[in-house]
Amino acid sequence: MRQMKLGLSIASAGYHYSAWCHPDVDVRSATSIQHHVTAAKIAERGKMDFVFLADWSSILSVDDTRIARDREQAQVKVDPTLAMAAVAVVTKHVGLMPTASTTYWHPFNFARRMAAIDHLSGGRVGWNMVTSHGLDEARNFGLDKPLDSDTRHDRAREFLHVMRGLWDSWDDDAFIRDKESGQFFRPGSVHALNHEGRHFKVRGPLDMARPPQGFLPIITAGTSDNSQDLAAELADMCYGGQPNIEAARAYYTSVKGRLPKYGRKPEDLLMMPGIQCYVGRTQAEAEDKFALMQSVMPKEVGIGQLIVNHFPDLSAYGLDDPLPDLTMRNEFLGSEKLGGREPELTLALMRRARDEKLTLRQLFDVALCGFWSLGVIGTPKSIADMMEEWFTTGAADGFNVQPPYLPGGGEDFVDLVIPELQRRGLFRTEYEGRTLRENLGLPRPPSLHATAVAEAAE
Amino acid sequence: MKPRKRMMSLGLSIANLGYHYAAWRHPDVPADGNMDFRHFVHCARLAERGKMDGIFLADSSAVRDLDRPAIAREMEHQLVKHEPTALLTALAAVTKHVGLVPTASATYNEPFNLVRQLVTLDRVSHGRAGWNMVTGFSIDEARNFGLDKVAPSDERHERAAEFVAVMRGLEDGPIDHQGKHFRVRGSLGVPPVAHRIPIFTAGESDNAQELAARCADVVYGGQPNIDDARAYYASVKGRMAKYGRDPDELKMMPGIMAFVGRTLQEARDKFDRMQALIEPRLGLGLLTVSSFPDYTGYDLDGPVPDLPMPGGRKSEFVVGALAKAKRENLTIRQLYELVSGGFWHLGMVGTPTMIADLMEEWFATGAADGFNIQPPCIPVDAEDFIELVVPELQRRGLFRTEYEGTTLSEHLGLRRAVPMAEVA
Repeated sequence: MRQMKLGLSIASAGYHYSAWCHPDVDVRSATSIQHHVTAAKIAERGKMDFVFLADWSSILSVDDTRIARDREQAQVKVDPTLAMAAVAVVTKHVGLMPTASTTYWHPFNFARRMAAIDHLSGGRVGWNMVTSHGLDEARNFGLDKPLDSDTRHDRAREFLHVMRGLWDSWDDDAFIRDKESGQFFRPGSVHALNHEGRHFKVRGPLDMARPPQGFLPIITAGTSDNSQDLAAELADMCYGGQPNIEAARAYYTSVKGRLPKYGRKPEDLLMMPGIQCYVGRTQAEAEDKFALMQSVMPKEVGIGQLIVNHFPDLSAYGLDDPLPDLTMRNEFLGSEKLGGREPELTLALMRRARDEKLTLRQLFDVALCGFWSLGVIGTPKSIADMMEEWFTTGAADGFNVQPPYLPGGGEDFVDLVIPELQRRGLFRTEYEGRTLRENLGLPRPPSLHATAVAEAAE
Repeated sequence: MKPRKRMMSLGLSIANLGYHYAAWRHPDVPADGNMDFRHFVHCARLAERGKMDGIFLADSSAVRDLDRPAIAREMEHQLVKHEPTALLTALAAVTKHVGLVPTASATYNEPFNLVRQLVTLDRVSHGRAGWNMVTGFSIDEARNFGLDKVAPSDERHERAAEFVAVMRGLEDGPIDHQGKHFRVRGSLGVPPVAHRIPIFTAGESDNAQELAARCADVVYGGQPNIDDARAYYASVKGRMAKYGRDPDELKMMPGIMAFVGRTLQEARDKFDRMQALIEPRLGLGLLTVSSFPDYTGYDLDGPVPDLPMPGGRKSEFVVGALAKAKRENLTIRQLYELVSGGFWHLGMVGTPTMIADLMEEWFATGAADGFNIQPPCIPVDAEDFIELVVPELQRRGLFRTEYEGTTLSEHLGLRRAVPMAEVA
């Protein structure tokens, strides 16, 4: 029977913008390795496939004084690959999915880093591959603006190609280590890459044994044509951000529909929308949790987040005033800050605010608690019902759970919702394999060179 | 307040399976250890048991000289290795006291990425991160990063100095740096625990010494005898004044490879046993890769023939070793055994007393402020050093018996390091 895959997104102290203000949350979560370890152990207790660590290589818009950046938690964080290296050695089963940029990493350094973590974890690391469209990131790497989308995605493709070549540098059976004869490895078992492409020139070989998984599971995200094509061509999973089932089904169909042109089958890619939930044993308990979280959010953070997301400046309005007819702020649209992207989530939210005549407080409730993706406040049963519907009607193959705050929000999901999913046979009760690939149901790819040998023998 | 008695700093170099080329063939060495986390946990805990300042991981971003058929690479253990920063961050999660010093290149990293990673290591370890800064002289590394040749030394060292300026800026807060090699406008958002992450460097060239005098906290020296080490010590420290630095702000820590025995005979037996494990093909190849002439085809037990020197980097060690071979009428086998022993730096075969005597002399007479211990075989020779030599140094009051501080800066007694309150 087909079962869901589940990831736990553990960035910062949770996915609510003011998670760090929650009374039960450690204010230092984002830079504390203990926080990452605790979250990973919660995911492991719930038999979840992986923990996911979102990232970008900068702090954000600190020079825009309208945004209360000093009240936000997500500005400070640790390097996600290294955080996962540390988590790897104190966990046993859970997969580790750090974010890293194909634009700001060099492939040789990255191939080493990730192969190292795959060895440290016994084959449990994957990669959230991003191409980095942020202006603040560009400025940390000598650029005045981000590279254009086509260039970034072209570079990402070539980057992955180089990864494959580097990770396959040594054959699986290269190392003999025979102390008697003095032979450490088999001559002919190591292969230089000699890659020369548009973006990279890398000779290789990599100075590390082939990663236990051979090739790392890849997750990507994004709704642009370029992002969807990249996912369809190269990814194993796709992290979605659709706030309702219609949008999620459309996205699911759109991405999966692109797979055949890359010679892949629909089941070769798992669609994993984000879901943020407030779980209570009763609906009232869930709503209390939500209300507590919302109550600690300062108005300035809400206003600033709206500005960042291209809403008009609403600072003159009271929280319970009706809002004016909302029209999009123009100055950033099409500007370098958006890098040519359509702010589609913002446009959808704007429409909803207009249609439902939301007050500022209600707008915060929808937007600023982090409900850009699927958000739900409910009981284990109502949440499982919804997940089951998404899972069985072409909207999702699994979910990235975005706890509003950690560790409490993660524990609630694992202790209350997962047992319900397990009862319904929708989720595993034990890990099937030892590696992340095995748990995701992905075969271990043969080495490029093993394939060459096999073909030559035919 | 009474000034604290000057004590040695000690680092444990744990790269590969030891600093002897045949280390992996030692019966008690795990041949697959350099990809096995448990091996490194054992090493790190040994270093903590010995109250050592830090563990140090040498590195280069390449498989070197793979395409030179004269070199028997398939008999070597150090072609595959762990990635130092990831490995040490993982070790940070399972250790408490010991400093963690990965090697990383200022030439092949972006400052924002690397500084962020070092600060992460520092955060995970609560202030125990260091950085061994290298500039990458190997053609094999250059070719992995899109280059056909290595950038000239001047350029690499200039870039490294600017790299450190960016790093020190990012450690302090937001920067808007515009330099010849980097433009970085931004902030890490999070400072290191101990304010500044200690920087290690090495190298004898003028460029390397200037860079060390300007910005290093520790210099990893490689002098094989006390006269050279004293000259190097004076030369590096003598350059510091022009950068407004006090000589005490920099610790000179030569490498030392010691075969330790409870008796001299036991130490010699250990040494002989390791030397016997060097196959002729490996030995000849190592001479080649070490910039000696290629002696393939000559009688191994005949005298070292007078062949022309190959081009490339001139090494004082090679010149010195050939002079010694001529002077002492060494055979080719004896020459490669000399070289293969790994005694590029200070080497010693002796009892704890003899080794402590030598270290004390270096420490007390302007040749060293501490040492980087390079065990011939890991973990066995690291165990011997910690069980036999460290107690002798402690008895003499030359080395700590307990950790006094919590950060690497505190272990090293770096004057400049001002521990800050936890900020985050």
